[in-house]
Amino acid sequence: MVQDISILIGGAAGQGIQTIGALLARVCNNAGLFIFSVDDFESRIRGGHSFHLLRISTQALTAPCFKPDILVALDEKTHEYHKDTVSSNGITILNSDENKKEKSDIYHIPLELLAEQAGGKIASNTVAAGAVLAVIGAAFKDLEHVLKEQFMNRGKAVLELNLKAGKSGCEIGKKINFPLSLDFNPVQHQNIVMTGAKAAALGALAADCRFFPFYPMSPGTPIISNLAKYADQLPMVIEQAEDEIAAVNMAIGASFAGVRSMTSTSGGGFCLMIEGLGLAGMTETPIVIINAQRPGPATGLATRTAQADLLFTINASQDEFPRFVFAPGGVIETFFAVKKAFFLSEKYQVPSIVLMDQFLVDSAKTESDIFKIGNEHESFLDKETKVYQSESYLRYKITETGISPRRIPCNSEALVRASGNEHTQKGLSFEEPENRNIMMEKRFKKFVLMQQEMSLPQVFHDQSSFFLTAWGSSKGSVIEAGLKMRKEGINVGWIIFEDIWPLDFDKLKSVLKNRKLVIVEGNATCQLGSLIRQQTGIDYFSSVLKYDGRPIYPEYIIKEIRQTMGQ
Amino acid sequence: MTKTKVDIDNEIQWCPGCGNFSILKSMENAFTALGLEPKDLLIVSGIGQAGKTPNYMECNMLHGLHGRALPLATGAKIANSDLNIIVNTGDGDCYGEGGNHFLAAIRRNIDITVLIHNNRVYGLTKGQASPTAAFGMKTKHQNRGTISSSFNPAATALVMGAGFIAQGFSGNMKQLEYLIVEAINFKGFSMVDIHQPCVSFNKINTHSWYKSRVFDLNDTDHDYSNYENALQTVHNKNHKIPLGIIYKKPGVPFHERLDVLKKQPLLKYKFDGAQLENILTTAV
Repeated sequence: MVQDISILIGGAAGQGIQTIGALLARVCNNAGLFIFSVDDFESRIRGGHSFHLLRISTQALTAPCFKPDILVALDEKTHEYHKDTVSSNGITILNSDENKKEKSDIYHIPLELLAEQAGGKIASNTVAAGAVLAVIGAAFKDLEHVLKEQFMNRGKAVLELNLKAGKSGCEIGKKINFPLSLDFNPVQHQNIVMTGAKAAALGALAADCRFFPFYPMSPGTPIISNLAKYADQLPMVIEQAEDEIAAVNMAIGASFAGVRSMTSTSGGGFCLMIEGLGLAGMTETPIVIINAQRPGPATGLATRTAQADLLFTINASQDEFPRFVFAPGGVIETFFAVKKAFFLSEKYQVPSIVLMDQFLVDSAKTESDIFKIGNEHESFLDKETKVYQSESYLRYKITETGISPRRIPCNSEALVRASGNEHTQKGLSFEEPENRNIMMEKRFKKFVLMQQEMSLPQVFHDQSSFFLTAWGSSKGSVIEAGLKMRKEGINVGWIIFEDIWPLDFDKLKSVLKNRKLVIVEGNATCQLGSLIRQQTGIDYFSSVLKYDGRPIYPEYIIKEIRQTMGQ
Repeated sequence: MTKTKVDIDNEIQWCPGCGNFSILKSMENAFTALGLEPKDLLIVSGIGQAGKTPNYMECNMLHGLHGRALPLATGAKIANSDLNIIVNTGDGDCYGEGGNHFLAAIRRNIDITVLIHNNRVYGLTKGQASPTAAFGMKTKHQNRGTISSSFNPAATALVMGAGFIAQGFSGNMKQLEYLIVEAINFKGFSMVDIHQPCVSFNKINTHSWYKSRVFDLNDTDHDYSNYENALQTVHNKNHKIPLGIIYKKPGVPFHERLDVLKKQPLLKYKFDGAQLENILTTAV
């Protein structure tokens, strides 16, 4: 039987909420259980209210659950905020020194006091982790193993303290009555728990990206943080630029010189990069930009999530040039999307943008696919051995595909000239109207070929009476909501866009025609719906929109659908 | 050796009498003196009259956006530290639009040579005051005179810790050629702020105006290795314009601050999929 338990751990920033979540995730992973977690936090380092939502299951998960079976309240505020969301069989563990019990499902545990008895207040998170694990059926030895790994290099005293604290937590947790239980016997498996941020970082490395200029901006920064730990082992440079404008221009400069480059930011920083994006378009220099969306405009909600940069990303920059836009639907999807973004950016000499968001960046998920990186690496630089006499090489040579042979500077006699001004085939600035037309047409010749590289959205449950239609990180919640509704007898299917731009719009039209589309996305104006209407002439039936800065949970979709469909 | 020459199929768009012609010629002479062939040169430029420069030479070229030549050059140098990178930029491009990048490039001590064509006006947008225009300078757009005080590039570079700071004059090509050679030979960030007249839009700082104010630091007891000396020179109180090397002190350039770049250019590492896979799958 499928077991599925959700846990909400909440408290003030700085209380170590994520530490507890990470310990639980590791113990679960050792037992071959699947997790999905997401962080919800304020734009502050101390205080306020944050929480970590962790879902554990015996089968693979696609979405978080906002109805916790166990509420772990590190402070009273968390209890106040979330007590009404606890599921009917759920329990609450309240961090409290008061030895009282006003309700049977609320357990007061003095976490700090127990940690102090174990040797130090600092280990109160380990007490909490131990207690929760015991509640859901784990034994101390399951936690012991993970603690030893985690604190191995931190000295004997720290390890001893945490082992004692974990044990103390387990003992108290065992006494708590809880109806659900998981099997924690260790199993052999190749699963890994990974965040969207890490998947993006690994995708870039797998694509041989070696240069990462960036300017810090939530939630784009964790992608760079995940790269930093490989900096000593792999040929790569991470450079904090003076601003986002510098970051994107550095990426262009490095790519022009022959090194694959990527930068990561959020909407505000992406705004600053747009002129640079145009330069990449005009000079036909491959670069990859990750735009991890957050609500705006301006500073908006700095640490929250949104899907409101879709049309902006497709259209960003003055005038027109071809580009690729991807919006991976989940963690492993992100790894492959970033790889593909590099591959196609290099092949067509155009910029690629990968749309993520805070929810996807901070989602941790158990993935069972293993990353395979071939030893052969495809280069799209000019493979011709032709020897050019100085100015006879044409960087922007007119070809049938619009793709010109790309060389890197100072590598041969061929002089490589790139320009953000309209230019001749040689790359020199030139303003004549005929040349302008030829060059515009050259760049746009690539567009039709680019369309064929992108996957059309798949239709699930083809004969359904309506279709949840979504893009990017809403994928997981849409699938879970769809499956739940189908179980209830609702004839619903779903269509998810992950390759966003450019699609073959004629083919897209035949995929979508005669279907009742209910658009599900994280913005206020139904941007995917507008895009579909603009490109295919097909109008959507209705929409489920969310723009409060929080993820789209499956329960939210189901509730909204019930209202709009009158069911 | 191939002599760098003006490209014949690209008509030079500068006004007749523009100081840029002398700068272009001085660059050519400097490259020839250094034995640098077109294939050995990457010239990065911004936007403005100065930004057009690489279009008129035989070289590898990246002609970018207004103000952004320095980050482009920085990225290219990080990718391939073997490159000889020269930046052509103007006073508006480098000190106005790209001021932040100017400061950052100095802090990184990125090993490039920056030639700033400094004529105190925006020559391509018809003569607005640039950051180096004197306080109160009247233009069509600042018709009551500029209300911001003038930017002092050499002083700023000096206090930021730049290792090679020189001032040249388009009216003294021999010296300019020498300064460009010295700047390219310098390992680390090097800049030559080149004073030049704008014959179309700057009626104040004309060729003769400069002529009556410039003096050669070689004719004085200036010691460019002495910071205090350099500080006094950049704060010149008698409104004269010192030409020559103002300050020179080698430091560790960016690509020698990182082990990965010290070993070989980033570009030259071989892609090793097996090692990559091993690292990515073990370090969870």
